[in-house]
Amino acid sequence: MKSEHYRFPFHVIFHPFDGYWDLKYDGKGRVRIAAAIIAMLVLSTVLQRQFAGFMVNFNDPRYLNSLNDLIYTVAPFLLFCIANWSITTLMEGEGKFREIVIATAYAMLPIVLINLPMTFISRMLTMEEAAFYYLATSIAIVWTGYLLFVGIMTVHQYTATKTVITLVMTVIAMGIVVFIGTLIFSMASQIFYFFYNIYRELIFRV
Amino acid sequence: MKKLLLSLGILSLIIASVPLGALHAETPYEAYTYNYYSDSVPLPAPFVPERQVSGQDLGVGAFRDPGDVFVTSDGTVYILDSGNNRILRTDSQWGRAEVIAGFENEGREDALRNPQGLFVSDDHAIYVADTDNNRIVVLSPEGELLRTVESPESDVLPSGFVFFPVKLTVDDAGRIFVVARGVYEGLMQFDEDGSFIGYSGTISVRQTFADRIWRMLATREQRSRMQLFIPTEFSNLDIDTKGFVYATNIDTHAQTPIRRLNPSGQDVLKRFGYYPVMGDIRFRQFGNNSGPSRMTDIKVLDGGIYVAMDSFRGRLFAYNDEGQLLYAFGGKGTQLGLFNIPAAVERVGEQLLVLDRGKSALIVFTPTLFGRTVHAATEYRYQGDDAEAVALWEDVLRMNANYDLAYLGIGKSLLMDRKNKEAMEYFKLGMDRKYYSLAFKRYRREVMQEHFGTFMTTAAVLIAALVAWLIYRKVRARGKAHEVGAL
Repeated sequence: MKSEHYRFPFHVIFHPFDGYWDLKYDGKGRVRIAAAIIAMLVLSTVLQRQFAGFMVNFNDPRYLNSLNDLIYTVAPFLLFCIANWSITTLMEGEGKFREIVIATAYAMLPIVLINLPMTFISRMLTMEEAAFYYLATSIAIVWTGYLLFVGIMTVHQYTATKTVITLVMTVIAMGIVVFIGTLIFSMASQIFYFFYNIYRELIFRV
Repeated sequence: MKKLLLSLGILSLIIASVPLGALHAETPYEAYTYNYYSDSVPLPAPFVPERQVSGQDLGVGAFRDPGDVFVTSDGTVYILDSGNNRILRTDSQWGRAEVIAGFENEGREDALRNPQGLFVSDDHAIYVADTDNNRIVVLSPEGELLRTVESPESDVLPSGFVFFPVKLTVDDAGRIFVVARGVYEGLMQFDEDGSFIGYSGTISVRQTFADRIWRMLATREQRSRMQLFIPTEFSNLDIDTKGFVYATNIDTHAQTPIRRLNPSGQDVLKRFGYYPVMGDIRFRQFGNNSGPSRMTDIKVLDGGIYVAMDSFRGRLFAYNDEGQLLYAFGGKGTQLGLFNIPAAVERVGEQLLVLDRGKSALIVFTPTLFGRTVHAATEYRYQGDDAEAVALWEDVLRMNANYDLAYLGIGKSLLMDRKNKEAMEYFKLGMDRKYYSLAFKRYRREVMQEHFGTFMTTAAVLIAALVAWLIYRKVRARGKAHEVGAL
């Protein structure tokens, strides 16, 4: 792992077209760095939900759960990658799954970079100044959205219109994955209880 | 041995039945309030049922469907015994009641017929909404007819209008505000001579989006058979010392069942609490016992406190003048302190009275130490005496550490004393972001002023270090470039 690898995500977020091109064709992206960014995203979410200032923190402390934060950050990320891969494979996308994961993870960097310091700064804000906090977090989200758009477009070598269409379809596909997932889960549990009940019947009769 | 055990058993029963004082009083209901997160939080009971007063207790025979009760400022209790068409007068010691049954009207004997509403002025003029006789009757303290207010005549009233007064209240100037059955335009106002002035506090109708779509899709015939969009009627009313009318209405779709009407009929109730002033905010949406509270009576107490009665679940809700829920208690049932069909709520001294039509009795509630302390602190706060209130709020917190309003009360007083940091803590406990922000702003300025020198020194040192580093980097880069050039 060279220092170049650590610096590359910063290059990507400031020069997305250039950066994602290098990521795809010069192989500059690293899965490990992507994992680190996602880990930091989880950390920033946990810290933000727990420690953001009273003025901007509307979470009920009784129901804060870091494990849930972890699941609700990582699961959508993986879901997006899988759904996007599924859609783009059918739509002549040139991106590999690895590239999608790296491109998506690198796009999350602005959220980490802005939310971590904002969590600290929000503790020193009054009600009127809370607008700045919301402005900063909105900028982070818009920035990430833009990076995601450019990333997907470059990785799959799409036109802008096709990227928008695939992104919309990705969201739909995410919904389908969740639906089928729940379906399988509930079927599996029913099958399990079916055999479990047979077992119990047998136990009672033997 | 058996005898010993038996006597021990009896002894323990006797001990168990001895009341344990007001704070630990057993009540058949659980008192509660709602916290910032809209969860109901149990409270120590603010009121305990003391006794039930029936017609037999007052020596006048059983009540029949009593409709209303009124207590004057000097503590005289008037009960409107609607089914028996009579008015009963007693005192707060519940001595033998006087009966006012008939009166002489233009030389003939006259009587009330199914009267529903009662108001007594401070000089003991008795105003009765004589519902089935379509009139309002004003009686002297001795039960002689002073005047009647008959069915009004006015251009704004539809032809064939029948006047069914149900509830009424009177302001200091003698103006009568009437809730009449089948009148959707608001409260009817009469001047002191009994002539109709107009309506007050009209409830506007809201059509939901779905309603509008349905109406658009329906044919003319279907539309004519649809239910009309008419505003809800008021259900009851009371007047405060400043002449503002508090009125309740039953509207299952709106969140404003309680209104405070100013003299021009606008709703000026303060709703500064965490949630709407509507009784229960958490309730079942479907099935048994579902739906919002149905407010059918309201009573204004001292210090801006008002108590609204939910006849649906049989609960009383007390709010302060800012629309924050102080406590809620009550329920339906047959035990002492529970209601069957609650008809009216009143107060006598510090006690609360609930007239129960189903039980044909008055239920008397006495405040506990907790209830009394909350009331006293709220009154001080209402008068702007935050410093006086602090000690009381601290007492409240000792009895119930989950009482948000107490934290707010103490916080405000600390803020006044410029103890900003402590105030911040209390506002955070009371979940009030506006005041927390205020306290924090002051505290931040305080810290900044105190450490201004340190701040500036640190900033200067940091800037100097940054400049030095930049120069160093530039110099080194130039040196490297020189080396490269030399190669």
